[in-house]
Amino acid sequence: MSSREILTLQFGHYANFVGTHWWNIQETGFEYNTTQPSEIDHSVLFREGRTPKGQVTFTPRLLLVDLKCSLKSLPKQGDLYESAPDSSQLFVEWDGNKVELQKNQKEPKNEFQIDLENPEALPSVSSKKYNLDENVEVWSDYLYSKYHPRTVNIVNEYEHCNEETPFDSYSSGTALWKNEMFEDEFADKIRSYIEECDHFQGFHILTDCTNGFAGLSSACLEHVRDEYDRKSVLVLPTIPAHFPDNDFKNDREQVFSIMNDSTRVINLLMSFNSYRQFGSMFAPLCAATDGWRQPGVPREFYHTQFNHKLPYHSSAILASALDTLTLKYRLKSTTCSLTDLCADLTGNDRKAISASLCMPFSLNSDAELIDCLDQWEGPLYRSITPRCKIGTERVMQHLMLRGIPETRLKKAQNKAGKQKEMAAYKCNSVKEMMEFYLSCTTFATASNVGVLEKAMPVSNPFPEIFDQWIGVNGNVCANPRGESQRVESIPILAGFHSGSEIGEMLESLHTEAKKLKIARFHKFTIEQDEYGESLNDILTLRENYEDSYLV
Amino acid sequence: MAISLLNPKAEVARAAQALAVNISAAKGIQEVMKSNLGPKGTMKMLVSGAGDIKITKDGNILLHEMQIQHPTASLIARASTAQDDMTGDGTTSTVLLIGELLKQADIYIAEGLHPRLLAEGFDKAKTKALEVLDKIKIPIEINRENLLDVCRTSLRTKVHQTLADVLTEVCVEAVLAIRPKDNKPVDLHMVELMQMQHKTETDSSLIKGLVLDHGSRHPDMPKRLENCYILTCNVSLEYEKSEVNSGFFYKTAEERDKMVLAEREFIDQRVKKVIELKKKICTGTNKTFVIINQKGIDPMSLDQLAKEGIIALRRAKRRNMERLSLACGGTAMNTFDDLSESCLGYAGLVYEHVLGETKFTFVEECKNPQSVTILLKGPNKHSLQQIKDAIRDGLRAINNAIEDKAVIPGAGAFEIAANKELLQWKDTVKGKTRLGVVAYAEALLVIPKILATNSGFDVQETIVKLQEESHTSPEPIGLDLTSGEPISPKDAGIFDNYIVKKQIINSCSVIASNLLLVDEIMRAGMSSLKG
Repeated sequence: MSSREILTLQFGHYANFVGTHWWNIQETGFEYNTTQPSEIDHSVLFREGRTPKGQVTFTPRLLLVDLKCSLKSLPKQGDLYESAPDSSQLFVEWDGNKVELQKNQKEPKNEFQIDLENPEALPSVSSKKYNLDENVEVWSDYLYSKYHPRTVNIVNEYEHCNEETPFDSYSSGTALWKNEMFEDEFADKIRSYIEECDHFQGFHILTDCTNGFAGLSSACLEHVRDEYDRKSVLVLPTIPAHFPDNDFKNDREQVFSIMNDSTRVINLLMSFNSYRQFGSMFAPLCAATDGWRQPGVPREFYHTQFNHKLPYHSSAILASALDTLTLKYRLKSTTCSLTDLCADLTGNDRKAISASLCMPFSLNSDAELIDCLDQWEGPLYRSITPRCKIGTERVMQHLMLRGIPETRLKKAQNKAGKQKEMAAYKCNSVKEMMEFYLSCTTFATASNVGVLEKAMPVSNPFPEIFDQWIGVNGNVCANPRGESQRVESIPILAGFHSGSEIGEMLESLHTEAKKLKIARFHKFTIEQDEYGESLNDILTLRENYEDSYLV
Repeated sequence: MAISLLNPKAEVARAAQALAVNISAAKGIQEVMKSNLGPKGTMKMLVSGAGDIKITKDGNILLHEMQIQHPTASLIARASTAQDDMTGDGTTSTVLLIGELLKQADIYIAEGLHPRLLAEGFDKAKTKALEVLDKIKIPIEINRENLLDVCRTSLRTKVHQTLADVLTEVCVEAVLAIRPKDNKPVDLHMVELMQMQHKTETDSSLIKGLVLDHGSRHPDMPKRLENCYILTCNVSLEYEKSEVNSGFFYKTAEERDKMVLAEREFIDQRVKKVIELKKKICTGTNKTFVIINQKGIDPMSLDQLAKEGIIALRRAKRRNMERLSLACGGTAMNTFDDLSESCLGYAGLVYEHVLGETKFTFVEECKNPQSVTILLKGPNKHSLQQIKDAIRDGLRAINNAIEDKAVIPGAGAFEIAANKELLQWKDTVKGKTRLGVVAYAEALLVIPKILATNSGFDVQETIVKLQEESHTSPEPIGLDLTSGEPISPKDAGIFDNYIVKKQIINSCSVIASNLLLVDEIMRAGMSSLKG
């Protein structure tokens, strides 16, 4: 059966940070060597196209939206299909040469971007040191993929990082959808992508949910639900791990910051309610613990140090989880579809789910999985959903482990020694052993584990966030990694979970949002009644997570 | 001042200072826009930092592209773009006129006149100007020639003359084709704009039928059919898993397959109905069959349809459903329960055209198309965008003329006439408000003045010539941009929309008065904080 295609929609700057990493991870993992074809079915998320010159292209099946001035050196149309014409060479037909040229200063490209365009430098790009930590300001700075000309959509009404006309309210987002640019053009682009799919299965909507994009994505989701009623929609609302305005220096900035925090809570509430209503399921994602009012402290992962103030870092964490999780329905061998996954996790209308991550899955370089699990202390994975623990009771969960080959499962019978005494020794595959482990460490929980042997690539432009004890292949080593070496790939475990803890997350959001009087926030054109209704709806959703419901 | 007590950090500008802020902003934005006015204005090429190119002369598009920071300027910009939203033209004029009104007002205020009196004068002058407008409007018959004149006048200010003439023809033909016979309002949505990136701008043309930006998705389907029945529908012909299969509790493979088959059967029934109808009405004739579906069609269904020689298109635009019924006849079907020949439309020719990775399907030779397509061609994205913007404005101009059933002589004729009338009438106005009327009359002249400047003529000389001529001639007098001499716009076929001018007069007067009456500007609240 041919691929069951998915269309990805990205709304907002942080979502695009995450998305950029996600596409980069996928493209750096492409196998051009045909003797050992990849197990991943890339055509689920990518599409084949053809340039006017007849060259075959393979680009993400993606539409993204960002604000004016957020692209820096990336031209809107990309340069894959036609390079931007040189304005000085351009002939404009007009009387008497009365043409006025208004040229903005050319945006300089960083070293990484320059090397990508240079065929000679290209082979060394994956391992060269670029200092992207300091050079990355916007997502296009570390974009490895090339996009289709229709992928990038720029909102002209609002400017990126412009505090005079901020795009910061749910209402401004829903109003924006009514523009011709979205209701006609954007909707038509969605249709064109779907028209070319033979077995279209659904959408990924990766979106900011604390600013105006919360409203825009909600309006788009409603359109999608209306137009493609039976397709699944997985909504992935992202919250940055840090907001620059939270670092206030004086009272005045503090007031400003508190106001912003409140605005963000309203946006979260309103958008979550839309995602609940029109999405198939949604998994809020944040690389910090709290998400709202303030993102809180960054989540910790073994052997990983990331700077939560850099969106370039925190988004990489979320993207790794997403790339791994979605493998569930992106493998060539899979029978599971996005619809199945949603159906499994949203019993009793539990449309909000949580996500978890273990990155890297720390296996000692000389050890087997069986010993690793035996000696593991604490939970296997960390939640990346704000204000939500991952429970061990009455949970429905889908996990995906990649990068642990079957050869690393256990020692052969004759060399096994102590391993033979463990109950897990009878397991004959990674999948079986993981499921066995999970069944022993949880109660009344249904776990489904998917496995991919190949590890996740983390070469450039993935940030260097792993400490020196992680080897080139991602395993934990006894000796520190050399200065000049960088980690090329890592084993990783990620999961989607549905359990009663999510109810607590929803309740916390409800409590925060209830404190706010919507009438005082004049930039929202939301009536008191409507706001109250949204509050109630979230509370109703929260009730779906009552423990009385049995898996 | 209460606000400064409540919020000592609010920035406040008062009285004269506030007015100065507003006037300088209005002048600033006027300065940017003035070189665009008229067919001799400059074309602007905007190049972004990443190399994206935009070529335009249209005030509305420029205002959208510019990031205007100043609150007063952005207020003016918003008023002007609102003008465009309503009428499709007149953005540049609005900006110029507001700027000029404030400039004229500034002179009097400097001499100590209270802004309130000026605003009153503006208001009176506005009413009078509207009277003049009604007096000089020329009722027209809705025919091809008259519409061509209006549309040409509008388009020549936006694109090069040779292209403007091609597009004028296309736009007028399009509107005339879709115009309902019973004088109901025209729905411009029934003109589809389709872009094809090849050849040159002047190859743009009108297709009396529909062009869709997708084609059949099966290799064996015919690429060209003649004498076609067209079935438009919104019925899913793709198999979708409705029964939810849990990933946990796998059913056996056979069980799964069986269920898929049963589901599939349901879709097959629908396909069979279409095929039956096709066989019934096409067998033995030279008729062929085309199905255009708003929903999906999966490969298996496509395969069955292809075997019957049917062209099947899936995922058509929602709006195209309506357009197809108007272009080809027939009705859009939501179920296949009672399919019959009467539901079908007809097109003489349906064929596919491939351009790079995009396929286009042309549905042509329709019997009495009430929905048509303007096919835009151009070598690159920015030229396509430029024509698209121009065509929109052209269509709006035609539609305005149809709705007004009247036009206004262009080339600055209205402004000259209104200026003359206002100056005569001012003697009947009592008190100092008279000065407001004078200022208003003077400000109106900004349009012919800038037209003259942009065409390279001496401003004073031109205006004097025009005024002299208008005193002797009973006909409205405008400016010939090629010779600099007065002409009768009526004879030259230069016409503007009545509604556009009316809107300009109304909105400019109101906004200018409002800005004059502002005596305090405060910047408080969050957005004034620099982070």
